Amino acid sequence: MRVVSIIAVGGLALSAAACGDAPEEDTGGTTAEKYTACMVTDVGGIDDRSFNTSAWKGVQAAAAEDKNIDPKYVASTAEADYEPNLTQYVNQKCKFILAVGGLMGDATQKVAAANSSQQFGIVDAKLAATNVYPMQFDTAQAAFLAGYLAAGYSKSGKVGTYGGLPIPPVTIFMDGFADGVAEYNKAKGKNVQVLGWNKSTQKGSFTNDFVKQDEGKKVSDTLVAQGADVIMPVAGGAGLGTAAAAQAANGAYSVIWVDVDGCESAQQYCSTFLTTVVKNIPDAVKDAVLKGAKGETLSSSAGFLGTLANNGVSIAPYHEFDSKVPADLKAEVDKLKADIIAGTIKVTSAAQPK
Amino acid sequence: MSGVSTITADDVAVAEVPVSFWTRSRKVGVGFLVAGALAAVIFGALATSETVRFTLSENASGAALKINGTVGAILFGVLAAVAGAVLIAMPGKKWFSWMLGVGVIGLILSFLCWQISAAPAGQNFMPLVNMVRGTFLLAVPLIFGALAGVLCERSGVVNVAIEGQLLMGAFAGALVGTMTGSAWAGLFAAALGGAFVSLLLAVFAIRYLVDQVVMGIVLNLFAVGLTGFLYERLMQTDQQKYNQPPHFGVWEIPLLKDIPVLGPALFRGNIFLYTALILVAVIHVALFRTRWGLRTRSVGEHPTAADTLGVRVLGLRYRNVLLAGVVAGIGGASYTLLLYSFTKNMIGGKGFIALAALIFGRWSPTGALLAALFFGFADQLGTYLSAINSVIPSQFTAMLPYLATIFAVAGLVGRVRAPAADGKPYIKG
Repeated sequence: MRVVSIIAVGGLALSAAACGDAPEEDTGGTTAEKYTACMVTDVGGIDDRSFNTSAWKGVQAAAAEDKNIDPKYVASTAEADYEPNLTQYVNQKCKFILAVGGLMGDATQKVAAANSSQQFGIVDAKLAATNVYPMQFDTAQAAFLAGYLAAGYSKSGKVGTYGGLPIPPVTIFMDGFADGVAEYNKAKGKNVQVLGWNKSTQKGSFTNDFVKQDEGKKVSDTLVAQGADVIMPVAGGAGLGTAAAAQAANGAYSVIWVDVDGCESAQQYCSTFLTTVVKNIPDAVKDAVLKGAKGETLSSSAGFLGTLANNGVSIAPYHEFDSKVPADLKAEVDKLKADIIAGTIKVTSAAQPK
Repeated sequence: MSGVSTITADDVAVAEVPVSFWTRSRKVGVGFLVAGALAAVIFGALATSETVRFTLSENASGAALKINGTVGAILFGVLAAVAGAVLIAMPGKKWFSWMLGVGVIGLILSFLCWQISAAPAGQNFMPLVNMVRGTFLLAVPLIFGALAGVLCERSGVVNVAIEGQLLMGAFAGALVGTMTGSAWAGLFAAALGGAFVSLLLAVFAIRYLVDQVVMGIVLNLFAVGLTGFLYERLMQTDQQKYNQPPHFGVWEIPLLKDIPVLGPALFRGNIFLYTALILVAVIHVALFRTRWGLRTRSVGEHPTAADTLGVRVLGLRYRNVLLAGVVAGIGGASYTLLLYSFTKNMIGGKGFIALAALIFGRWSPTGALLAALFFGFADQLGTYLSAINSVIPSQFTAMLPYLATIFAVAGLVGRVRAPAADGKPYIKG
């Protein structure tokens, strides 16, 4: 039986597990030198169903396309793990080391500066080191669409959002969302309120955590009690608490997921997701790894900037809400998207990648 | 029992030490007088004249208690100051806890009148049902954890492994619950999971005399490692098959559920909330009214004496530590068998807060309940404040439960005393 065998193996491997997962050793003595793409997750872990998951998906997609790419990852369980995990991959002579998340910026900068011939990449940050390829996303553009949609969909006239931590990759979603709601109010002469975030003061509700579901639920329960009927959690796995609570509430409120289409990454809660503000991390990571494997230079100054125009950010299909979102609203959102791409509407946020 | 006069510690203190004018009661009184006056002036000045509504429902609708923001901030500040004055004028045990309550509530209400009146338009209300419910829901894992601590420590074994017991319970509940498709089977497995961690604690602490604090910490790491490993290697391979636990629904209690505020907040709850509250009562009675309780306490205070009288010290300690694991394991199941599925390290430190609640609650079940509710309330209040866009930074509101606890432990609870033999292994001889 599978469980028993795994428990038996677990007994042997336990000491390793307790100290964080040891990266798999490359035991295959292949003659052709492989392009090792090594990814270090942030504390959210590989299964946050959010950006760590999607970055790993990108690495795997690259490996599927180019058989010479050898993907591996290590999950960080604490912030103190970032530097040792990155250093460990430097020592293993990885060809490309990917750091996932803005929170790893400082550690990556330090390790990259100390190993200037090593190629790094980072999602959601741009560093001073010239050997780090930045992949950034102007998520405010897509969140703007989500904010407009939420305002149009809300029955109570109040929508809510909360973040994991007040850091730019998080608040950029919240800024865009708030502006989208404001755009709706301007267009329709309504007064839909945003709870949990105030763009002008940059203050709002945070879980101070990206993992604990109970923290996410705690915050969204409070926002719902204050009247919100559409909630956008920008808190990685902690947001799952909101999705679970929304499901238990039987449609009393709906959720806008972020990063990866919720109906793919957290299928069991698909019935609660109005849409998802998608950050197309998989494609950005995949392209970077493929380019690197071909020997092309990964410029640290240009990097990659995902926008609505290059499909680096987008909003996901409505899935189960497809019949519930009015056709007019859908058309307006599409029009808005075209306007943003054309540049007639400018979305601004203090957290936008420079 | 009647007719036997006993000399308590209080009597001795009164008899021998000359009472200084500045008793604890008077000191606290001065604190409230000053804080209340400051609250009335500062909060009164900052508050707006917007009407503050405390709604009796879970949202903005329905009946509400209303007061003008400025008037409320001043009025409740003055109330706290009056409570302080009463404590100075009439020191003594009789009034202390009442005035303490009035003072604390006055300060909180004064503060809230400021915050709520200054909230954005349309947000000048506090839904009381949601506040009370949130307080209790946030307290539930803490109550289970702290009760597990009470059971262990009252019999003389320090339980730092609460976190690990909760986590193992959550994991076992999710795994077995999913595989059997039965929430009850999951609950049973969760109890066993907690007991498994307890068994290790008991064997190493009681049989092999390992330092109990160190052992507890090691067990926490062990639980994180084991569940994390199994989560990655087993649950993640097939979430459907291993990690989609069935959930207990909402259980409404007839009649009680119609009480205003408390009804919807507490009596439309879930099995874990009810179990936690019942366990507090059961363990309280058992600890202070039954033979088992007397023996447990004596083993925790003076195991040699208990042994001389024929109590099996080690047997009792084994039994209580295992029982503690069962209680904490059920508490852990409140994570996975109610709403969520299992994720790595999902308890995230609640076990340590439960440990603090145990000490804060003076090693008694009712004390632990109150301490857990206090934490829950501060936590819920912090969340509420950031939701209404308070001027207080969210980093600070997130600290609120911890700050409030430091204040309460240092200022109000005073000295606490652990069971005398807590953490000391018993060697017969």
